[in-house]
Amino acid sequence: MTNKILTFIKIIRAASGQPLSKRQLGLLLVIVGVVGFTGIIGIDVIDVGREGGIGPAQQIALGGMILLALVGLTLIPLGDTPA
Amino acid sequence: MAERTYPTTLARPALSLLTLNRLLLAAAFVILGSLFVVYVIYAANLIQFPFDYDQGEGFELVDTIMFSQGQWPYQDTNTFPFYSSNYPPLFHVIAAPFAAVFGPAYWYGRLLGFLGTLVTASAIGLAVYRDGGHRGIAVLSGLAFLASNTIYHIGPLFRQHMTMVMFETLAVVILCHVNTLDDPRRRRRLLLTGLALIMAAGYTKQLAIGTAVAAFVYLFIGQPRRAILWGLGFAAVGIGIFLWIDVSTNGQWWLQTIAANVNDYYPDQTFGLFRLWFGLHGFLLIPAALYALYELYFDRLSIYTIWFVAAVGISLLSGKWGAGDSYFATSIAAMSILSGLFAARTLNRGWRFPENYISRVFRPLRAVGPAVAAAGLVIVPLLYIGYGRAVWHMPTDGPIFGPLAQILNIEANALNGFYDSAGRVAGGYADIGHLTTPTDSANGWQIVERVRAADGLVLSEEAAFNLLAGKPVITNPTQLLNLANNGQFDSSGLIAMIEAQEFSLIIMRAQFYPVDVLQAIARAYEQVETIPMNGFAYLLLQPRS
Repeated sequence: MTNKILTFIKIIRAASGQPLSKRQLGLLLVIVGVVGFTGIIGIDVIDVGREGGIGPAQQIALGGMILLALVGLTLIPLGDTPA
Repeated sequence: MAERTYPTTLARPALSLLTLNRLLLAAAFVILGSLFVVYVIYAANLIQFPFDYDQGEGFELVDTIMFSQGQWPYQDTNTFPFYSSNYPPLFHVIAAPFAAVFGPAYWYGRLLGFLGTLVTASAIGLAVYRDGGHRGIAVLSGLAFLASNTIYHIGPLFRQHMTMVMFETLAVVILCHVNTLDDPRRRRRLLLTGLALIMAAGYTKQLAIGTAVAAFVYLFIGQPRRAILWGLGFAAVGIGIFLWIDVSTNGQWWLQTIAANVNDYYPDQTFGLFRLWFGLHGFLLIPAALYALYELYFDRLSIYTIWFVAAVGISLLSGKWGAGDSYFATSIAAMSILSGLFAARTLNRGWRFPENYISRVFRPLRAVGPAVAAAGLVIVPLLYIGYGRAVWHMPTDGPIFGPLAQILNIEANALNGFYDSAGRVAGGYADIGHLTTPTDSANGWQIVERVRAADGLVLSEEAAFNLLAGKPVITNPTQLLNLANNGQFDSSGLIAMIEAQEFSLIIMRAQFYPVDVLQAIARAYEQVETIPMNGFAYLLLQPRS
């Protein structure tokens, strides 16, 4: 188990010294978009005392997160080209 | 396998087309050059005007004076003189030596703002020339920035916004190629300089956070480890400065610049300002967006593209109470660079489309490549001509501008005989861009005389009258309103003074005080005189008998 963790850390360390590829950037954007979208929606779930449902600023932010994820999806097929 | 590309390198275009290109570029120079002349006239006019031109300038002057006296402007607003500032310090610190030498005056702050825009325009030109290789387009890009109605409006004001944009632009121009540099010493030097400039931008105005994010995203794409390490150092320095100021001001720094800035958000104001932004700048926004998409799918992302996206994103904050078209200034700087790179690449026939799933979709269009490239020679200068027409603004009277306005069939739509294609800024409260007149100055001095004649304290909604009359400045109305809206202002001390009629004169303009303060004023004071200045009615109130 320890060896596996050390190998993983080595891979991350090596990868973090390289430029991102279009595919990696795409994946990152998809992750940020999905996590961001969930987080923004989550505000209303966690903070039940809020009134008025999803507010206008939240709607803009949700739109931004969807756009981010969609752009990310279009980058994934571009493969190892430097981002 | 070798990478297949689809270059647009073509045979030399016909001489007639090149001549037409040069003629149209010359026309674009004339239009944007004329707007630069108008900008210089406007700046010269404002630099000589001794009073507030844009609401709140005077309080930036007060901040500057306080720094020149070694005081923080982040003070407790619940006690006399109920004054504080909600802006970071750097712009005022830069202007402070002028205040120490020349005393309270607007000219040096406005001159610094104006010079800052010239530095920004030069940096934009340099960026386009360095990466685009077309001198004419580089000059047009710098002029396009200065020609924007937004930049024109706020450039020569005693405000910190354009100094922030200057630091931001210098930072991205310096950081531009840092990801691909082989020399580690040079890279470190550029990183240090670029990040220091971003820090300077952030301590000039909080909105620079967007540029900081853009810079670190760019660094992260180039090498995540380096971005994280430098990011940690950057955060440590930024937080260290923040804590130092907060401790030095007994927590007022956090309260006044962060907590008080959480204002109501009006989406309609954002949408209105975005429509205005696109309507005025669309001719260059579209090529800028196309260039950003090109980098995203066919080239490496530059810091300019990431900066453009971040700057447009930060413009969404323009819906906050108190925000306005100035929130788009950074995006206009980024637009000027990207559209310049688009134009230069088109004129230099430098487009390359590496093989990928998108270029395969457009493969059938390769046949029209030569025609598109030839059309580019005409379309590029037309974009700048169209942009110049869209952002056009000028005085409509006087020996030169009067006849020119008649030839162009332009009528004044703003104060004091001025035409501005932006009209009244949508959703915002700013009504600026026109020139001031000798009558405005004379009326301002009339108000100063009233303040001098008043026996005792004067509560003025603008600081200039008190400063020029040698009386203490009391309150910063918009900051009191910011605090009151966030439940952070105890108005009892100020209201008690108003009810006791401790002010012998009150001067109102926009009535930006918190509601309970305005109600107290209405109960204890009555209007005795109205003096117009710069398109606004200044109400002079004295204690009710």
